[in-house]
Amino acid sequence: MLIDTLIEERSKGSASIASTTRTKLLLKGIDLKKYTAQSDDDPGVIKSIKQIADEMGINLKV
Amino acid sequence: MSVKVAKTNNPDPYAAADELRTSLSGIKPVMVLFFASSIYGPDGISAAMKQAFPDSTVLGCSTAGEIISGHMLKNSVVAMAFDTGTIKGVHADTIPLDSIRSVDTTLNHLAGALDASPLSLDPERYVGLILFDGLSGAEESTMERIGDLTNIQVIGGSAGDDLGFSATYVYLNGKAFTKTAIFAILEPSSRFDIIKTQSFCSLGKKLTPTKVDSATRKVLEFNGKPAAEAYAEAIGVSCTDASSHFMEYPVGLMADGEPFVRSPQRIDGDAICFYCQVREGVDLDILSSTDIISDTKKAVDEINAATPIAAIINFNCILRTLDLEQKGKTDEYGKIFSGIPTIGFSTYGEEYIGHINQTATMLVFLK
Repeated sequence: MLIDTLIEERSKGSASIASTTRTKLLLKGIDLKKYTAQSDDDPGVIKSIKQIADEMGINLKV
Repeated sequence: MSVKVAKTNNPDPYAAADELRTSLSGIKPVMVLFFASSIYGPDGISAAMKQAFPDSTVLGCSTAGEIISGHMLKNSVVAMAFDTGTIKGVHADTIPLDSIRSVDTTLNHLAGALDASPLSLDPERYVGLILFDGLSGAEESTMERIGDLTNIQVIGGSAGDDLGFSATYVYLNGKAFTKTAIFAILEPSSRFDIIKTQSFCSLGKKLTPTKVDSATRKVLEFNGKPAAEAYAEAIGVSCTDASSHFMEYPVGLMADGEPFVRSPQRIDGDAICFYCQVREGVDLDILSSTDIISDTKKAVDEINAATPIAAIINFNCILRTLDLEQKGKTDEYGKIFSGIPTIGFSTYGEEYIGHINQTATMLVFLK
């Protein structure tokens, strides 16, 4: 899932950075509880996540 | 490890700074942090504090009340001096809040002084301290950008002006600033921790903002209904009574079971204005207040029991202070910190990962 990739890329295996990154995403308006691997692709949400990745300097390969 | 705290209510800024210098003598501070009531003119108190501590990085802000070990104060200046036993190094600069690009400039500059990039700073080694002009309305965007750039924890508060809501100031090395944040990267000499305590529990009821004006921190609709009506319905009161329940029943973003509180400020027509930004489509839990004294004491005691605390910087929301004042519990709150070198202030907003309300965020230096 795109969100998981973003968190993995940012945290590089650190559980505390992963947790903080999840909170940062929530504060930016991405509520992780609403999305699972089975969720339909929402172009608006995908665009937001890609934009956040850009802002964080993360290159999401999709 | 050496850290000292001092307070004064001498109304003359230079005499006040001189009293603080005398009280804080005996250590050679690398950093002096101070919080001053808005009765002190901004230019005078900042210049006086730098003159008193010319060899230290001197930073601070105006307040809506001050905190020092054992006491909650008004119309005073409190200060904390850190020597190299507590803080190995400090790099501080301003972030002008008129352009979000300033965040990148300041963080790159400060990290560069440590031969690092903001992202490569070790979160176990460094911590960020931030003080905002509390009337800037720029906390959310600034904290988000800082969070984009670095993994270090950033904690702080928004300056106050004793509920005047006319002008708040941040101070760095003798100068006073508005529309600015002061950002410092600290390298504590020992381990450090963060306390975030907000004395609320979730009622299990949710409001989803469905129409929001982010720029003005205003929610127009919750759950597809006028915001004031939906909020009043959720807490079981009439629309006309809703605002009198704001302090007791704010709302919160739930992250890992922990609320990030968003406090309603006032009703504007059918809308509700908040003290911080609310995002469209992100569920908010309705919160119910619990006991500030016992919750705060528990949070401090838990850390102190695991590793003795050397010092605390406490950013305590003005709404918590007003609640404590209403209940006659300010002395009890101050006493939680009696045995611990502590300074803090009553803020117009607290910072930890983002901008939050009705919370105390504390930077805890461990022995």
